[in-house]
Amino acid sequence: MKSVSRIAVVFCMMLFSTGLLARQLPEDPLDSVMWEAMAERFMPEGDIVFDERVRVMAPLSAENQFHVPITVDATALDDVVEIVAMADLNPIPLVMSLRPSEALAFVGFRLKLQQTSPIHVGVRTRDGVWHVGGAIVDAAGGGCTAPAAAHGNSNWMKTLGETRAFAGRDTDHSARMTLRMRHPMDTGLAAGIPAFYLNELAVRDDEGNILAEIDLYEPVSENPTLTLKPRVGPEATVLTVSSRDTEGNIFNFPLDVPAATGL
Amino acid sequence: MKRKHTMLAVASTLALGVAGVCSTAVAADVSIEDIMNDQASGGDIVSYGLGPRGQRYSPLSTLNKENIKNLYPVWSFSFGGEKQRGQESQPLIKDGVMYVTGSYSRMWAIDIATGEELWQYDARLPEGILPCCDVVNRGAAILGDKVFFGTLDAKIVALDAKTGKVIWRKRIGDYEAGYSYTAAPLIVPTEAHGPLILTGNSGGEFGIVGQVDARNPDTGELVWSRPTIEGHMGTLNGEESTMTGKKNETWAGDLWQNGGGATWLGGTYDPDTQLAYFGTGNPAPWNSHLRPGDNKWTSARIAIDPENGEIVWGFQSTPHDGWDYDGVNEFISFDMEKDGETIKAGATADRNGFFYVLDRTNGEFISATPFVRDITWASGVDENGRPLFNPENRPGNPAESADGKKGESIFAVPGFLGAKNWMPMAYSQKTSNFYIPSNEWGMDIWNEPITYKKGAAYLGAGFTIKPLFDDYIGSLKAVDPSTGEIKWEYKNKAPLWGGVLTTAGGLVFTGTPEGYLKAFDDETGEELWKFQTGTGIVSSPITWEQDGEQYVAIVTGWGGAVPLWGGEVAKVVSYLNQGGSVWVFKVPEGLASR
Repeated sequence: MKSVSRIAVVFCMMLFSTGLLARQLPEDPLDSVMWEAMAERFMPEGDIVFDERVRVMAPLSAENQFHVPITVDATALDDVVEIVAMADLNPIPLVMSLRPSEALAFVGFRLKLQQTSPIHVGVRTRDGVWHVGGAIVDAAGGGCTAPAAAHGNSNWMKTLGETRAFAGRDTDHSARMTLRMRHPMDTGLAAGIPAFYLNELAVRDDEGNILAEIDLYEPVSENPTLTLKPRVGPEATVLTVSSRDTEGNIFNFPLDVPAATGL
Repeated sequence: MKRKHTMLAVASTLALGVAGVCSTAVAADVSIEDIMNDQASGGDIVSYGLGPRGQRYSPLSTLNKENIKNLYPVWSFSFGGEKQRGQESQPLIKDGVMYVTGSYSRMWAIDIATGEELWQYDARLPEGILPCCDVVNRGAAILGDKVFFGTLDAKIVALDAKTGKVIWRKRIGDYEAGYSYTAAPLIVPTEAHGPLILTGNSGGEFGIVGQVDARNPDTGELVWSRPTIEGHMGTLNGEESTMTGKKNETWAGDLWQNGGGATWLGGTYDPDTQLAYFGTGNPAPWNSHLRPGDNKWTSARIAIDPENGEIVWGFQSTPHDGWDYDGVNEFISFDMEKDGETIKAGATADRNGFFYVLDRTNGEFISATPFVRDITWASGVDENGRPLFNPENRPGNPAESADGKKGESIFAVPGFLGAKNWMPMAYSQKTSNFYIPSNEWGMDIWNEPITYKKGAAYLGAGFTIKPLFDDYIGSLKAVDPSTGEIKWEYKNKAPLWGGVLTTAGGLVFTGTPEGYLKAFDDETGEELWKFQTGTGIVSSPITWEQDGEQYVAIVTGWGGAVPLWGGEVAKVVSYLNQGGSVWVFKVPEGLASR
């Protein structure tokens, strides 16, 4: 009863804000009580379709609610402009948003879950349509409101931003890069600890052109791990990764990509 | 598949900057002219001190001695959380928005019409911060579309005034060596660099070196820096500029390397002389027998040319300080009428108990008069401004004691918390009086041996503070700067630790640790109005005009140095409860004329 009335309220607000031309929302195959709210907040404009070409790979049951690995593969879609991930039942649902301007529509990351929750991923194509996929992950509680493990160590700030990264090849026109950066990714929900997280990351080619930009939010796991597939030529090159956290700390580094020969 | 593994240690914000977003001028932005004219414009408050001179005088007179009885609260805003502690902040006001800082390096933007929060910023502080005297902050600065404030881990942060998002953040000092920052930044105009944002530093109890830094407000890049201790080199445009003073001229040996002189209360600026005035803290360590000489420029006022960071003049109120008489107290520029002449003067009420008037163009001494009772450490001040020391009232040298561990203890007035501490006084253009929040107390103090160790307290002294009188410690005084005469006095049971505001309406406002915001008659000292805020007040009140009505605001929340260092004073303050709010008052419609 409660959830029905909440949906009704959200739905009314939607009608109100978008007028009589409110788009038709497809029924959510994951049957999330938050589906309308997620669509309204994070995919505010454009048609929405559930699409099997948006593959969201996640464990059925999270072994660790602080680190739930998610892989999104939308490479079967053309002209992807943006990929947005949300964990419907987290106190802060928005996880990350990727703009893969010169990268494949692919991203791997880890997130924190406060409870068992549907994960929705919206992939917007150039025509404005959101293609949505998702998964439900069973999880023990508390992933977002416990202090980061880093705070067990009084000098955690000394290692802030330390990064391990590598780049390899799947094809001769793209690189596969993975990085893991030391950062507590504080959500602001643990008692006495303000929000403090890595919130911007960009990958550039050797001429400074942006290949991919990603906005990160509080639910991304401590010591964020990211996998991206930027488009590069077959020869060896050097990418530049630049990132910034909510306190204005800046972490920049070069990343060597080997030549495609020998694949 | 070939993979290349790379291990990368990445620099943090120290080495790499972000280009600030270039702001296009829109109506809401604060210009350097707005800041320079802040005192004359009653509709906003865009500087610490209600104008760059820091006079804390408002030309508003809608609120006056008659209608003050009708001043009522409009709203109160809680800083929330468990991080209460001392709230020493002065809010800023611009276009109907209040920007206010709080304990533990937090800041809020509040819609004045409703009292609702627009945004909150919480600095992510490291665990190892070393603030000596509570986790306070005294206020922000505003320019363009940004607001700025200093944090307890010795950083300065620029926030987007609309959203509270970090634009840049720069390091003032190494918090692990004892540096921190609590004062409001000062924004000044320059010909060579455009507007600059000036900060001091804190940490005089940890053997740091006082310094003033000037930065580009758009990017945070350092333009110049000026250490306060002789022997240290300044910088300009990324290169070494000049040495402060002459090495070993007034410091023997190598103690100047950790000589203190922290500029922990920030500075003021005078558009007439185009000089920035900073006070400097105590020399380190407290044990003065280890550092013979005047120890320049500790316990002094220095005038700095903002174009290049050079010291134009210095005046030492307590040379060779042995009592922790910091010289940081604000230097307020004012024009003094004396014997038919207008003198470009400046005044400061020192921790050491004397009220000094100097020529602000060249630092020449004009007068010094006591503003508290029974000063013991000096019998007066000579015609050059140098104290007439009482040698027997300097704590004894531990090296001359039988076991070499503790020098002779003496009782000195004022105590180390000062005849007046950080809390800013006000100057009325209406009465030509200064209104000084002072305290009548002394201390037992003795010296001990000490050596410098990074990040450890560097005192070499023991001490305990004692009230002089049974019935009061706090004393708000009206002082005529041309004679030094005390025109009236208001006595308060607990020590005063909040700033003062005076207005063209003939009112003097200050808060008390007992929780009252009070208003006095500027000519007689009569108490005209008070309001109980529910926790101690240790901050500076403001007033401004909005939609034709005059508002008053005060930040509340007991804390600061007194409860941490208060000695016997604890008797009158130990029952006071913490808080963390800002209160806003106005006269309800229809009552202003009654």
